[in-house]
Amino acid sequence: MKIINDFVSQFDASISFDKTRIIKSGNRYYYLSRNLKENVPKGFFYIGEYLGTEKGESFFPSFILLEKIAETKANKIIIDKKTAWLFICGRDIFRKGIITGNSVKKGNFTLVLNENNECLGFGKLIMNLRGVPDSKEVAIKNILDLGDFLRREKRQSQKKYNRTAKKN
Amino acid sequence: MGWDFKEVKLKQSIRINTMNEKKSLVISRLESLGVDLEKIPFLKNGFWIKRSNFSVGATAEYLLGLYSIQEAASQIPATLFNKLENKIVLDSCASPGGKTVQLANLMNNSSVIIALELKKRKMFALTNQLERCRVKNSAVYNMDARKVSKLNMNFDCVLLDVPCSGNPVSDRQWFNRRTSEDILRNSRRQRQILTEAVTVTKNNGEIVYTTCSLEPEENEFNIDWAIKTLNVKVENINCYGKKGLTKIFGKKLHPSIEKCKRIWPDVTQGFFLCKLKKVAQK
Repeated sequence: MKIINDFVSQFDASISFDKTRIIKSGNRYYYLSRNLKENVPKGFFYIGEYLGTEKGESFFPSFILLEKIAETKANKIIIDKKTAWLFICGRDIFRKGIITGNSVKKGNFTLVLNENNECLGFGKLIMNLRGVPDSKEVAIKNILDLGDFLRREKRQSQKKYNRTAKKN
Repeated sequence: MGWDFKEVKLKQSIRINTMNEKKSLVISRLESLGVDLEKIPFLKNGFWIKRSNFSVGATAEYLLGLYSIQEAASQIPATLFNKLENKIVLDSCASPGGKTVQLANLMNNSSVIIALELKKRKMFALTNQLERCRVKNSAVYNMDARKVSKLNMNFDCVLLDVPCSGNPVSDRQWFNRRTSEDILRNSRRQRQILTEAVTVTKNNGEIVYTTCSLEPEENEFNIDWAIKTLNVKVENINCYGKKGLTKIFGKKLHPSIEKCKRIWPDVTQGFFLCKLKKVAQK
């Protein structure tokens, strides 16, 4: 639980989870509805809302958790359409693609939202945003974006391909 | 059996996840991207992709779970239950998860879905889909559907989209890959899954049995066997498709099998649909 709170606080945010409904299975954290908590037996592979995975001292969030953080007053920036597309393709964000945001300080973690206020992922500010509106330099380093759903599947099928190749 | 083999080229289809966004907004967002949609007449939230210059599986809208890519016929089974809200639902052979997400959508992401998948390598696609579509009400087990009673749960509704031999529309090499022994093996396994499903279904609970096979051994014959062997009766369904067959290969089957639906490949792939009700034991 602490590892989730620590992760959320990096966005200058906090979420008040019902602690009794967060469960850890292996190194993965899930948030359960009351119905799931009351009705579902142990031994599951996946349950409810997946929040993220703990690896050593690091925490890898799910998009569900990022969306929950985006519902609070967290560090966020909103980017234009073209930048949003490039971001979910794994690219970093140039200053000129940022429309607005409450996160301006170099070193901050920030959620990245599109013009519909939908969370596309998160990144780290690598420059102060104040005073350089037209800079063509990278302002936000992409850490995680929605395109990861597709990249995961690609990695998975690559693994499968490698296993088959090894057998043959 | 009432259909002559013909080459069918399927149009890609999508289903809008209305639990995540209003249907009209998703349509306008896709149209503004240049995707030409055509409403599927027999589905509430289903659309064919008439034209798109890019893969609809790589848009922000897809990655945000606003829609799923799901073949038109396979969008029907989940809609056959009477009412899903507040029900405990079992999705017996769940991967890759299109129908699980659809069930969650029909349940407004509330109550409980238990999703089973036997093959570990398929679990990834299933859970990836659940996370992408923001499904909150599901628990996934790496479990054989023939052993679901181990969970000690009883279900109001059970979706049995059982593993089957498929059909030549979804598999171009079908005739080279299948033997009659494969079909009989699948049929035996389907009966085992069906038997276990009836065991864990509450009295008066609903079971929707579907395959994408055109083989009577995996469809009408199994239902005929179930009516005679298990405490079930066939219910009327009102959906796209032709009546189930009651006379096949010289055999006369239970007349209620006419209530099942057989979808011959045309605008969709081949499909068989049947809704069963567990009869209360006296």
